Amino acid sequence: MTGLGWGIRSLGRHPLRTGLSLAGIAVAAAMLLDMVMLSGGIDKSFGDLLLQRGYQIRITPKGTLPFDTEASLPGARRLVRTLRSDPDVATAGAILGSAVYARTPDSLVTLFGYGVQPESQGIYRVMAGADLAPADTTGLLLSAAAAAVLGGARVGDTVMLAGRLDPQIAAAAEDRSLVVRGMVEWLYDYRGQPSVGAVLPVMQRLARQATGDPASLVLVRARADSMVEPLVARLRADYPTLEVNSVVELVAQAKRRLSYFTQLAHVLGAMSLVVTVLLIGTLLTITVNERLGEIATLRAIGIGKATVVSQVLAEGVALTVIGSALGVLLGLATARYLDAILTSFPGLPAAFSFFVPRADTLTQAAVVLLVTGSLAGLYPAWLAARAPIAATLRAEAT
Amino acid sequence: MARRARTHSRHLAGGGHLSAPSHPGAVLVARDLRKDYPVGGETVHALRGVSLSVGRGEHVAIVGPSGSGKSTLLQLLGGIDTPSAGSVEVLGTRLERLSDRDLTRLRLLRLGFVFQRFHLLPVLTARENVELPMAEAGVKSAERRARALELLEYVGLSGRAGHRATQLSGGEMQRVAIARALANQPAVLLADEPTGELDAATGQEILELFRRLNRDGATLVVVTHDERLAREAGRTVTMFDGRIADR
Repeated sequence: MTGLGWGIRSLGRHPLRTGLSLAGIAVAAAMLLDMVMLSGGIDKSFGDLLLQRGYQIRITPKGTLPFDTEASLPGARRLVRTLRSDPDVATAGAILGSAVYARTPDSLVTLFGYGVQPESQGIYRVMAGADLAPADTTGLLLSAAAAAVLGGARVGDTVMLAGRLDPQIAAAAEDRSLVVRGMVEWLYDYRGQPSVGAVLPVMQRLARQATGDPASLVLVRARADSMVEPLVARLRADYPTLEVNSVVELVAQAKRRLSYFTQLAHVLGAMSLVVTVLLIGTLLTITVNERLGEIATLRAIGIGKATVVSQVLAEGVALTVIGSALGVLLGLATARYLDAILTSFPGLPAAFSFFVPRADTLTQAAVVLLVTGSLAGLYPAWLAARAPIAATLRAEAT
Repeated sequence: MARRARTHSRHLAGGGHLSAPSHPGAVLVARDLRKDYPVGGETVHALRGVSLSVGRGEHVAIVGPSGSGKSTLLQLLGGIDTPSAGSVEVLGTRLERLSDRDLTRLRLLRLGFVFQRFHLLPVLTARENVELPMAEAGVKSAERRARALELLEYVGLSGRAGHRATQLSGGEMQRVAIARALANQPAVLLADEPTGELDAATGQEILELFRRLNRDGATLVVVTHDERLAREAGRTVTMFDGRIADR
């Protein structure tokens, strides 16, 4: 019978009390887990999202975020050609974002339109049908949400897109009849966003931005991750009127902006640790006080202080391990639920996640929880070790 | 009986590593023991100078009215408590010279204790309770399991080895406690009111077990109010007001 086995069995003496304590520890552990996932999850999720297709660099108009404003960078295709000829660049592609309209039998439906260069794109995944060819000026890509607002459009269907409405005459400046080539998942769409995509020149015309060859951003993939930093520095020097950022820098910016999330997570995580320590410490102190007669007898028959202390600590470890295991299940379930609520906020990419499990932080949290849970048993273990044998036995006998 | 005698010789004739006592043949020697307790600003003199020697294989009963100092004397003899003055020698070892750790080790290896309230660990089986002191002493798993089963057989509980303490009757629990006390082959078995929590019939079983233990060579010192148990002893020490009244 090892100390841990003895400890686990001892927990069964008062099943209801132990059960309630385990429930409390599980809730605290779940909260700690969620806070750990939240504290590192946002930047991890943001970084993963931006790197999904391997483009490590973003070039945008100065002072803007992509699609945030009407600002656009001019000469997009020439810029892309120049970038593609750079020996450190694996590929590059321009993207234009704009509102477009689709004609349905009885109305106009507002959609978000992406102009893309299909041979170098980093913003969608083809789910059904085919991708656009680089020169396909009659093809269209639809998201599931766009297909739904278009009355269940499918691959092969024709969709009539209208460009920006002229406010004076309430008529579209440009009408294009496009054939659906593929159903895609737009990686940066918020949940339910109806988006369509066409090759860049088509979307430029629909956006009434045919002149100047504009784009909202350019994605650049370096030949190796190690080349990113010097490449960004060089591009900044070459294009001082543009904003050049690596994904690492963008993640760092996001992290700074969302630092309050991390602080909140740390505070709540620390509180959950304190609750765990108090729960375990209280339960074990009550247990030790109840068992003083038994402990005094054990000491009297020659059981050493070390064995008594290790047995009490083993109970603390057993409580922590079992409670934490339950807490992991509870934490993952609540993280999923909370994530669904948070990512339903408008403007957030559906693929974004607030609660991201990371092996390193989860391991750290598990170690901290185990250590603190075990430390919580120190005071009751000390009580057990210093129990006066003779006085306790005398008190027991009367 | 032959088997029991053999079991006894393996489990009761302990103290093999001990030096010779200063009283030839004495296992326990107490000299002028005094024990004072502060109670509410006053001093209670629980023992007022008790000297006692217990020889190997002796069965000594300590009797007397409540508060006469019987249990205090037993605790001092067993190194559970420390005297205010005087000394205790167990197989030649002066207890007051031992550190807490060495005293604990001596209680584990050379003394066996049986208490009125058996205090078995309820989450362990009878066998595991008996194994506990052996595990503490570092006896290997297979050996302690075999010895625990032998001891349970000796106390008549071979069929209850796998039962948890909570599944045993009072008499059975006390017999398991006696087996536990014998686990490390102690030189002396010290018992404090071993029948105090038991009914007459069950107390009789324990009495017979003690009789058998002594017949098999165990040195017994028993504090008791039970006249039947006291009559079994070869020597009766009567305590009164912290002193030995007669021998």
